[in-house]
Amino acid sequence: MDEKDREIIRLLQNGFPLEPEPFKTLGDKLWIDESGVISRLARMMQDEAIRYVGPFFDSRLLGYVGALAAMDVPAERVDEVAAILAEYHEITHNYLRDGTPNVWFTIIARDEARKQAILDDVKRRGNIASIQLFQARRLFKVRMDQD
Amino acid sequence: MNLTEQEKALIRELQRGFKLERRPFLRAARAVDMTEEGVIAKVAEWLKNGVIRRVGIAVRPQKVGNAANALVAWKVHAERVEEVGTAMAKHAEVSHCYERDCPPGWPYNLFTMIHARDEEQLEKLLARFEETLGLEKPKVLRTVRELKKSSMRYFEEKAE
Repeated sequence: MDEKDREIIRLLQNGFPLEPEPFKTLGDKLWIDESGVISRLARMMQDEAIRYVGPFFDSRLLGYVGALAAMDVPAERVDEVAAILAEYHEITHNYLRDGTPNVWFTIIARDEARKQAILDDVKRRGNIASIQLFQARRLFKVRMDQD
Repeated sequence: MNLTEQEKALIRELQRGFKLERRPFLRAARAVDMTEEGVIAKVAEWLKNGVIRRVGIAVRPQKVGNAANALVAWKVHAERVEEVGTAMAKHAEVSHCYERDCPPGWPYNLFTMIHARDEEQLEKLLARFEETLGLEKPKVLRTVRELKKSSMRYFEEKAE
């Protein structure tokens, strides 16, 4: 990654131009041409430095419900349980963390009933005694570009 | 939020991310039978009313030089949540900050996601938060392994 790449990332973290030719606008600011911007972005996506370019929707305003959830899974079963969580597109993030509980995941579902159904499913299929839920009460910050 | 079928179709299209080509809005427009200007205007409207939080990029923290990433939960009295949450949210190293309802036995109610260059930086930052905000030692849940990371896709559930 060179200085121009970092400049592109900085610019895009401040917002994507809502114009017919957005990459040209970005290029004009950085003294490179449109195809240069596009090829740099394509390379950074291939290198997985960038995961996504596009809009981030607010799940709550779209009527979805979310929560942070945690459960304790014995070390030797983490991969097996992770494979089960991976099947649900409503489970977007899953991390193995140190401490107890050790497996933390986020869930976003179209309504409470669907959310509960997924959690029940995970418990049954993963042979999990209990899942702890941490429902958001108040949002202070979310920077989805670091998400 | 009442969305038309066409608006839902546009969300399904846009949430796949922009194609890296000259006119990404035109491609989305064609896919949902709208005009390019119509799509741009709709995105601007959603950005204004909050349906879209931002339009930009998602980076992978480890790839941009952050090696120490942790979910850090703080015990904060109800009457101080506002002050402490607002203060933490101001720091660039804090990507997420939420007050959460917690299950019994879990007193750490303010959750932050913190990204630091290395373990030493992370420790320093936590110590500074403890000192300047007068907080007890937090629960630090370091990331051992990423098991899944994906973007949510809305309105793609199959009819049941």
